[in-house]
Amino acid sequence: MATLNEKKTCSERMENFRRFVWNPETKLFMGRTLINWVWISLYYLAFYVVMTGLFALSIYSLMRTVNPYEPDYQDQLKSPGVTLRPDVYGDRGLQIYYNTSENKTWERLVTTLQTFLTAYTPAAQHLNINCTGDKYFIQDTFDGPNNTKLSCKFTSDMLQNCSGIADPTFGFPEGKPCFIIKMNRIIKFYPGNGTAPRVDCTYVGDESRPLEVDYYPANGTFNLHYFPYYGKKAQPTYSNPLVAVKFLNLTRNVELKIVCKIIGAGITFDNVHDPYEGKVEFKLKIED
Amino acid sequence: MVKKKSDIYSVEINGIKDLEKTETGDEEKYKDLKGNKKKKNEDLKKELDLDDHRLSASELEEKYGTSINKGLSSSRAAEILARDGPNSLTPPKATPEIVKFLKQMVGGFSILLWIGAVFSWISFGIQYAQGAESPFDNLYLGVVLALVVILTGIFAYYQEAKSTNIMASFSKMIPQQALVIRDAEKKELPAEQLVVGDIVEIKGGDRIPADIRLISAQGCKVDNSSLTGESEPQSRSCDFTHENPLETKNIAFYSTTCVEGTATGIVINTGDRTVIGRIASLASGVGNEKTPIAIEIEHFVYLVAGVAISIGVLFFIISVSMRYKILDSIIFLIGIIVANVPEGLLATVTVSLSLTAKRMAKKNCLVKNLEAVETLGSTSIICSDKTGTLTQNRMTVAHLWFDNQIYSADTSEDQTTQPFDQSSPSWTALSKIVTLCNRAEFRPGQENLPIMKRVVVGDASETALLKFAEVILGDVMTIRAQNKKVAEIPFNSTNKFQLSIHETDDPNDKRFLLVMKGAPERILERCSTIMINGKEEPLDSEKAEAFQTAYMELGGMGERVLGFCHLYLPENEFPDTYPFDTDSMNFPTSNLCFVGLLSMIDPPRSTVPDAVSKCRSAGIKVIMVTGDHPITAKAIAKSVGIISATSETVEDIAKRLNIPVEQVNRRDATAAVVNGMELKDMSLQQLDDILCNHSEIVFARTSPQQKLIIVEGCQRQGAVVAVTGDGVNDSPALKKADIGIAMGIAGSDAAKNAADMVLLDDNFASIVTGVEEGRLIFDNLKKTIAYTLTKNIAELCPFLIYIIASIPMPIGTITILFIDLGTDIIPSVALAYEKAESDIMNRRPRNKKKDRLVNEQLAVYSYLQIGIIQSVGAFVTYFTVYAQQGFLPSTLLGVRVNWENNAINDFEDSYGQQWTKYQRMYLQWTGYTAFFVSITVQQVADLIIRKTRRNSIFQQGLFRNKVIWVGIFSQIGIALILSYGLGHVTALNFTPLRFQYWFVAVPFAILIWVYDEVRKLLIRRYPGSWWDKNMYY
Repeated sequence: MATLNEKKTCSERMENFRRFVWNPETKLFMGRTLINWVWISLYYLAFYVVMTGLFALSIYSLMRTVNPYEPDYQDQLKSPGVTLRPDVYGDRGLQIYYNTSENKTWERLVTTLQTFLTAYTPAAQHLNINCTGDKYFIQDTFDGPNNTKLSCKFTSDMLQNCSGIADPTFGFPEGKPCFIIKMNRIIKFYPGNGTAPRVDCTYVGDESRPLEVDYYPANGTFNLHYFPYYGKKAQPTYSNPLVAVKFLNLTRNVELKIVCKIIGAGITFDNVHDPYEGKVEFKLKIED
Repeated sequence: MVKKKSDIYSVEINGIKDLEKTETGDEEKYKDLKGNKKKKNEDLKKELDLDDHRLSASELEEKYGTSINKGLSSSRAAEILARDGPNSLTPPKATPEIVKFLKQMVGGFSILLWIGAVFSWISFGIQYAQGAESPFDNLYLGVVLALVVILTGIFAYYQEAKSTNIMASFSKMIPQQALVIRDAEKKELPAEQLVVGDIVEIKGGDRIPADIRLISAQGCKVDNSSLTGESEPQSRSCDFTHENPLETKNIAFYSTTCVEGTATGIVINTGDRTVIGRIASLASGVGNEKTPIAIEIEHFVYLVAGVAISIGVLFFIISVSMRYKILDSIIFLIGIIVANVPEGLLATVTVSLSLTAKRMAKKNCLVKNLEAVETLGSTSIICSDKTGTLTQNRMTVAHLWFDNQIYSADTSEDQTTQPFDQSSPSWTALSKIVTLCNRAEFRPGQENLPIMKRVVVGDASETALLKFAEVILGDVMTIRAQNKKVAEIPFNSTNKFQLSIHETDDPNDKRFLLVMKGAPERILERCSTIMINGKEEPLDSEKAEAFQTAYMELGGMGERVLGFCHLYLPENEFPDTYPFDTDSMNFPTSNLCFVGLLSMIDPPRSTVPDAVSKCRSAGIKVIMVTGDHPITAKAIAKSVGIISATSETVEDIAKRLNIPVEQVNRRDATAAVVNGMELKDMSLQQLDDILCNHSEIVFARTSPQQKLIIVEGCQRQGAVVAVTGDGVNDSPALKKADIGIAMGIAGSDAAKNAADMVLLDDNFASIVTGVEEGRLIFDNLKKTIAYTLTKNIAELCPFLIYIIASIPMPIGTITILFIDLGTDIIPSVALAYEKAESDIMNRRPRNKKKDRLVNEQLAVYSYLQIGIIQSVGAFVTYFTVYAQQGFLPSTLLGVRVNWENNAINDFEDSYGQQWTKYQRMYLQWTGYTAFFVSITVQQVADLIIRKTRRNSIFQQGLFRNKVIWVGIFSQIGIALILSYGLGHVTALNFTPLRFQYWFVAVPFAILIWVYDEVRKLLIRRYPGSWWDKNMYY
């Protein structure tokens, strides 16, 4: 057993290691002859080339099978997510805190909104068409340029008081801030089942407490002619319809918890795991 | 000569002590054993410090404050008992249970997992302090990792404890009683309560309860074999016969047995202070060596831990330099560690070993230490006892000589008839003598037992003769009753014969029949005629010559020969009423008629020759070590094949060539019979020479202590040595051996304590089945490990690609744990049930330095080939799932930061759809599940290919090992349950997967199978080729 218990000194170990790396007697480099190393390297090279090829082939055939216009499944996208602008996230979700007397605190919120709305200027929307019908804009054919489908125009002026045109500060300094609610795009999703879905904002947990809100466009609806969405390839210029909400009677210096839900058939907002499905919750605190 | 003998003890007892010192090199050891004999002798004497044998009875009374007639008073005895402690051997210090338990908690991979857990908690702490949104993930992960360690630790501990418990129940003894004189009364006391100064009485059959100085003895004989290895009982008297306490006749030693007679003595040493107690404590000083499998597992753990740590650190550095946050890098590190460590493997190994242990227990090998299961498989030398292990441990009639002819008798275990020619009238006469001149009797009430199994009262030879007669003639007791015994002279060592006079069973024949048996030469001396074919013929020199030849031939076979003669006393001289007097011997005891010879031997067990030849083809050297006479030892060795029919010893060659022994070239002799006396005078180099140069070795007349020297000699050759033993004095050798095997029936408790394994049937053949199981488990563990290691790559690659390509995490840490500890456990245990691919008993024992459990080929083939195929398969599934849900592979690259950002709830996919964080997370979990399922599916293929290492699966049979299928179904079943049953429990990160995703990796599973079949085919086709060397693990 003595052989197994030999305690090697450090220098012996180093020496052993050196012999392992290059053994001059047997001409072994790391336990193999050089030619052996070449062979084994070539084998592995070939092996990995083949494996890479197989992988590439698999991905290639995968790409051949997927539809370029719409995904095969929308298992996770049963109900659209809802987002809010300006979006400032704190530790526990959206937290919009500002001080009316300190310009800096709200200016960045205003900037966010302005930046966000640049995508909705008439110039940005010039490729889209004006739609008027209050029905789903169903297109079975590709009528747009370059084999695309048409998208409806949504410009920021539709948000009226919250468009940032009349009031570039979106009512923030007055304590009557505008927020923009956006519904996530889902391909071939028909919200509301024929009725336009609308935004409804309340205090969290206390829906009876009156919250004075102005909705733009009127009634806070998303017009049906923006739906369905046909995907990026079919509608490259599509932009989400928006609803702006302007809170009129907010108590100052108190943290308010507000939820804006989208009411409409096919849109659920009771998923306990997903706080942004069909609704958006946020905390708002206006100090002065 | 006697004086010299004490040298043996002193050297060897101290020789053991040497082992405790660090082994500073052979040089010094040689010197120690050779040169310092004298000093050692002094040491021992000092140590033994016994002069009680020199003292007279009255001096003894004075010394121990006792009275020979009255004994100690109870109160005095109680005082001494309180001072000295009970009269029992302290069991070897067992490792405290808590230490064993903690060892399981920190051994092996546990350390790595603890590190992972601690990192998890640290990152939780940091995140919590920073107030991040969901820091509890890391807390849970840490808890889960800790739980994994603790649970696998508890499991391993439980397995260990279970196998130890078998032994514990085994070693429980019935408390021994001793007859003590105390307060002038005889009392039965438990032997444990004996104290120094007690007067005890012993009688035949008792175990000596302590070291005792005899004061009076009547025909007392003790069997000292457990102490000195001398198998002949030695007489004991109250005379001081030798200076050396071990030699003198007036001391009887603890744990030896009194064979016959009675004696009274004073207890002079109790418990650990007895001679046996000292030897036993020396035995516990012999360090336990690590078992070969423990070394292999350690090697494997180092290997995997090395890979885990180096990849972990490498990617920690990469992720830090890729500007990941330190915290994230730590989390990656945890993932890499968890992915690399096969959490379930050590538990699996334990289970596999204990399954084998169970299987071995069924075949009468009880394994005390789980790891010893494999040690037996790597054994290259077995040092076996003769008596009881190789032989049946009972005298049996082997040959007969009558009518000038030698007949062989059946010596198998379950003889019912004897095949030799029984028609001669000489046989009738001989059988009558055998039947009548015999004092042995069956214990009553055994009529239903086979004759060979019946218990007999009487000594070994007489028992053999009784059974022999019973088999051939039928009811011996009736025959004896019909031939009433009228006088008898029992055997004694001066006469060397036994005689009895009987009436005949023929009512018309009024003559008395005198029958006699004894040492053949003595019997012949008393004969003037010899019976040939039933006729008395004068015993002339020619016939005497024939007798001599037969006697020599039988004796040369190592058999104990007895001569038989008879005489019909003339009716006129010895009428019915003749008063036979055995003291004055008023009847003729010479000029008798010689009838025949019977020779007896303790025959080899019938399974042994086959087992020995199996050992031989398995490359295992079998060395016989016995206390018996060299001739007998050699005869048995020849008959069981330890010395093969064609090989010769130096002495044989000398005899054949008619030259002196010294002129024989020692290299020509393949066999050697070494006498214990020669061994004593040998230097270690000489011993090494013998062990090296002879393939067939018998050590005869060896003391158990010399066994230790032999074992060490074998170990110096680099062999893995298995040693069998039963006596207390074997325990140092048993401990020193790589695997000590104690006899379950004949073994002493000390031997069983020191051994790693107990042979329940004392049969050598059981060792061989054990070897077979041990080799099989080594092969199967290789398969298990290869199976388990493969998927580690498929678990690790996701992390590496996640870090480098910033794709969404393909597999979660918890999911990995579900593979390692869920789906993979039963299949990897199932591989332990795999049958051997070829005759594993036809190859040499593995070289413990070269044939590693986990060798380079195994690791490389699993990690870099099959593991890679698995990873590719799993990634294809992963990309398929993401692509079909909206994220094409091109979109996924580099997406990690935004993907994981809680503040982005309108994350755009390849089709322009927008996803909230939770929707993305759910998709990510679907990805985990898909990845998990792919690994599982490919592990099924991996499991199938691991069934064999060389043969095609079709050669091995896909369905022969049913447990594999249990494994496969359990694997799939667990995966189904996790996905569809627990898919809604968000904490587990599983989702109900679309059914078709189960099949994405199937082509890759098939590829694995085909690739491995090709590998095996090429290995079989081109043995020794570059491919064989690099691809065979």
